[in-house]
Amino acid sequence: MTVTPEMIAAFADGELGADERRRVEAAIAADPELAAQLERHRRLKGLLAARYAPIAAEPVPDRLLTLIAQSAHAETGSGEVVSMAQARARRSLAPMVRRWLPVAGPALAASLVLAIWQPWQSAQPSGYADSALATVLESRLVAEQPTNADPRILLSFQARDGSVCRAWRSTADGGIACRDGMGWKVTRRFAGSPEADREYRQAGSDADILAVAQEMAKDGAMDAQAERSARAAGWLNLR
Amino acid sequence: MKRTRPAVSSIRKAWTLTQTFETLLVDLLPRMRRFAYGLTGASADADDLCQMAIERALARRDQWQPGTRLDSWIYKIMRNLFIDEIRATRRRRETFVPDEAGLAIGAEGGQEATVELAMIDRAMLRLPDEQREAVLLVMVEGCSYKEAAKIVGCPVGTLNSRLVRGRDALMDLLEDAA
Repeated sequence: MTVTPEMIAAFADGELGADERRRVEAAIAADPELAAQLERHRRLKGLLAARYAPIAAEPVPDRLLTLIAQSAHAETGSGEVVSMAQARARRSLAPMVRRWLPVAGPALAASLVLAIWQPWQSAQPSGYADSALATVLESRLVAEQPTNADPRILLSFQARDGSVCRAWRSTADGGIACRDGMGWKVTRRFAGSPEADREYRQAGSDADILAVAQEMAKDGAMDAQAERSARAAGWLNLR
Repeated sequence: MKRTRPAVSSIRKAWTLTQTFETLLVDLLPRMRRFAYGLTGASADADDLCQMAIERALARRDQWQPGTRLDSWIYKIMRNLFIDEIRATRRRRETFVPDEAGLAIGAEGGQEATVELAMIDRAMLRLPDEQREAVLLVMVEGCSYKEAAKIVGCPVGTLNSRLVRGRDALMDLLEDAA
């Protein structure tokens, strides 16, 4: 069988079926010239990845995020045809977003990018945060954290029983932990779903966490100053 | 005080119902910026292109079929906008030269890395638009030939030959320079 340059290219792009792939593999193993062709393709692909991957890793400009956020928060479409589902979603979501946005806004915009990566599933039995997470919960204010913080604190609030709770997200999980005498008790944890198809992530994970936070909270989220005071008080019951 | 308990599940449901169009869009932004930069070769134009694409996607959201690939739909919007808006504007301005300002993007390495990045940018900009978009979609964005052809709106064979020519030209340009 002759292997054409097009076949080598298709092989490099992962476009061949199993049979063809095996034949090309065998031909490449037997012919250094074909192996060199494949190497050229791989080198080019590597160069392009080195060029373009950093762009996807850059922080997204605020103006682009704002554009989308405005749409998400708009209660009525501007003359466009809105489906029933969309209309319902906007009605039910908007009040929550409005209520939390003044405090959680910047963190929310940034964390949407970081965090909507995976559908979130079951809540697990509660325990206490491990030391790495507890250190972050104990020490870091929302306003102080770097943009790529992982875990990232979404917000802090006072629960109806008076305890101070904080919602966090990391790449692996997220949830809400409340401080008591023993440490940070995880009251809700949302675990990532490993089998999720990365192309079709759909769940609004931050929204899920914030929705739970809203359920638990006595008032709204703490602002930067309230959070600072709470940290100074060791996050313990403010009542 | 009266509180409504089922809020969480109804919010969750509503989000699912809309396929969370906005969050899916946010999710795609990094890839949109990468594709836009590859098409335009200039960071300012790239973000303008992203902005236009977001506006168009939001305005035409009803044309996207939930369950189909949003990324392909967005790429298609972007390449159409690039051809209709960005490229047309550039022709009018007659300033279609590699944008040196754009080279700063992603260039965190030393001098050597910057030079190499600039070289790739120049080589890419020397490709005809249809070859550049084919190379970007397949080799950078990871589309299959079939997906890329659908995005571009041409037969797979056409896409394939653009890809082959673009790739060969790039290899020559980059290997000669190296």
